Amino acid sequence: MSNLPFESEVADSVSKAENKVAVGEDLEFQRKWWRFEHIAWSILLAIVIVDLLGGFGRGWLARAQKSTPDQAMTLHYERIARASTPSVMTFQFTDKAIHNGRITLYVSDSVVKPLGALRIAPQPALSSIGDGGITYVFDAGKGPSTVQIQLQPSFPGAHPFTVHVEGEPPVHGSVFVMP
Amino acid sequence: MATVLHAVLGYFLLLFTVRILRRRAGAQMTMFEFVLIFLIGGIIIISTVGNDRSVTNCTCAVIVVGFMHRALAYAKSKSPRVGAIVDGSPVMVIRKGEWQQEIIYRTGLRREDIEAAARGIGVTRIEDIDYAVVERNGHISVIKK
Repeated sequence: MSNLPFESEVADSVSKAENKVAVGEDLEFQRKWWRFEHIAWSILLAIVIVDLLGGFGRGWLARAQKSTPDQAMTLHYERIARASTPSVMTFQFTDKAIHNGRITLYVSDSVVKPLGALRIAPQPALSSIGDGGITYVFDAGKGPSTVQIQLQPSFPGAHPFTVHVEGEPPVHGSVFVMP
Repeated sequence: MATVLHAVLGYFLLLFTVRILRRRAGAQMTMFEFVLIFLIGGIIIISTVGNDRSVTNCTCAVIVVGFMHRALAYAKSKSPRVGAIVDGSPVMVIRKGEWQQEIIYRTGLRREDIEAAARGIGVTRIEDIDYAVVERNGHISVIKK
């Protein structure tokens, strides 16, 4: 028995061209691969275009806006966010949202945990937990005002949320977090 | 856990991207390829380790990539088809003295690439080439008549 690791010659183990040159060419496979490459590049191009449009977050398609029927509160957020990437939820209030010099805003727990609320600006005068969420109370004067919640989602997937300003029907939305 | 998954995903994503890049003539890596490898590698590493930049996490990621590489090398040794998918297969650009136009077009080769390979083995006339093969690593093997 031979000590050689390969007992047959290389030329016997690979396909030959014209029964002469051992190349190991597999043109049928190679043509299939080129077709696959063509399709793969088309898909990659589509991915880049979708990304430029914001289909994977941070762009035109990702931006969303919701309002209460009388425009007391308008919410701007990203319907498509990215995991571990900052995102901002902006609430704009008109005078209709102010009751007794205060704006009372409720946000569901999903804004805090899966969507990873990091900080709220400005700081509320009061915050309390309960009813499956957090209620913030802001002292407010006349004129439009803005509150921002900075998010940093950790969990990929769809995360529905609810926000509610006093005296108005709740606003429901959903953020899809890309991995 | 996440690092392991990210490392596996990153490995295959990198392999896939590099694999579908068109094979370039010449086995030597140039600055052109260095830019590509460093930039893609640098981007992948960000998502692989995430916010956890500890030695433990990075070590685990490196070990996972090592295992992936070893597993793929084993699969290649067992299956020629896996080898062909991962590394490609050699293709003939000149067969019995005839230029294979489709192959040349598909591989993006230029006549100068083949002439340079021919000069490397002392063939000065393109008509004297019997076979020219683009190997899996991009090297062009020339067999004279």
